[in-house]
Amino acid sequence: MLYDLGRAIPQVKWLITCLLATFGLAYLFGSLMVALYAGFTPARVAATYAGPGMTMPMPPETTVTVEHPMQMEDFARPEVHTVDTDLLIQDTHVHVPMYGLFAAALSVIVLGLPLSRAVGVGLVTLLFAAPWLDFAGMWLTKFVNPHFAIATIAGGYVMGLGYTVVSVLAVRRMWFSRTGGAP
Amino acid sequence: MNGILRVAAAALLLHITPVVVLIKRPAAVQALLPGASAYFQRDLHLSDRDAHRLHEVVDWSPENDVLTFYLGRAGSTAVGALEFVRVDTPHGPIEVAVGFTAEGAVRQVLVTKATVEMKPWVQDATSAGLLMSYAGLQPTQSPTGAAAITGKTGALAQYVAGEVDKGVQRALTAYRLFYQPAATRS
Repeated sequence: MLYDLGRAIPQVKWLITCLLATFGLAYLFGSLMVALYAGFTPARVAATYAGPGMTMPMPPETTVTVEHPMQMEDFARPEVHTVDTDLLIQDTHVHVPMYGLFAAALSVIVLGLPLSRAVGVGLVTLLFAAPWLDFAGMWLTKFVNPHFAIATIAGGYVMGLGYTVVSVLAVRRMWFSRTGGAP
Repeated sequence: MNGILRVAAAALLLHITPVVVLIKRPAAVQALLPGASAYFQRDLHLSDRDAHRLHEVVDWSPENDVLTFYLGRAGSTAVGALEFVRVDTPHGPIEVAVGFTAEGAVRQVLVTKATVEMKPWVQDATSAGLLMSYAGLQPTQSPTGAAAITGKTGALAQYVAGEVDKGVQRALTAYRLFYQPAATRS
């Protein structure tokens, strides 16, 4: 095996450890942001991406006015953060390249681990499948059925799972394995 | 390798920072509908034709083609109306609240949300007097907030003022096309 993290020089091991720690921090705050703006339940994710548009999919023949009284407390209620098509296009445009780079960096780490071909390919697939699931879920929730919110939630958990598996295997290989000693 | 680094740099530069609330909605409502004791939400589900008409005039469609006005009353007297309008920019969204008097002139404009990145630009523009420039505007007029602060602040505040102008223009147009005719009928 030409590229083995277990036999890498300490500087490379330290670089990868720092990279994993930085990614971990980014994922932690990413999940906190998801909790703030979209939530972790299918209902909240569906409300964020499907929006009220799903309840009135066809525009009325003439403009319809609906008026109802409000209390000041109604203005203080936490707003449901909604993502319309324009914002989803923008989100997809800026997030997908970044997620691709994260998946690529983690995949490079996977290549330095002594895994069977099947496990390696599976892990790389998992890393790239997560953002695809995440964003496919958002688009399908908006345009096909709110039940696809489950795909977005699954994408988020797969992202976390992929990161955790790679981090555990890499740290174990670099710092705690016997073959991971001197290069 | 250079290509990968360029993509990484572009992705970092384009990453949109989170949205922060600059003024909470109850505070914005109290400022824009002063003295109101009763509030109403008026949703206009726009027909295709009306949505197209609005889009033609201001190159904008409200979320799900629903325009929402909030009305304030003190007893039987109308205090006015207000709209919250979102403006999407390459740096993320901002939200502008535009309050109208009962007579239909702009009472006050507030920027209620911005991204972390744009918040200081909004604060600079506000300090330069941006929001004061909108008071008294009629729905048929165009906002000139960015021009009003030219030379008084930096380029980024000037830029965000242009985005606030867009939000105010949308609110004015929506009010003129859809709120005033409805108010005349009722």
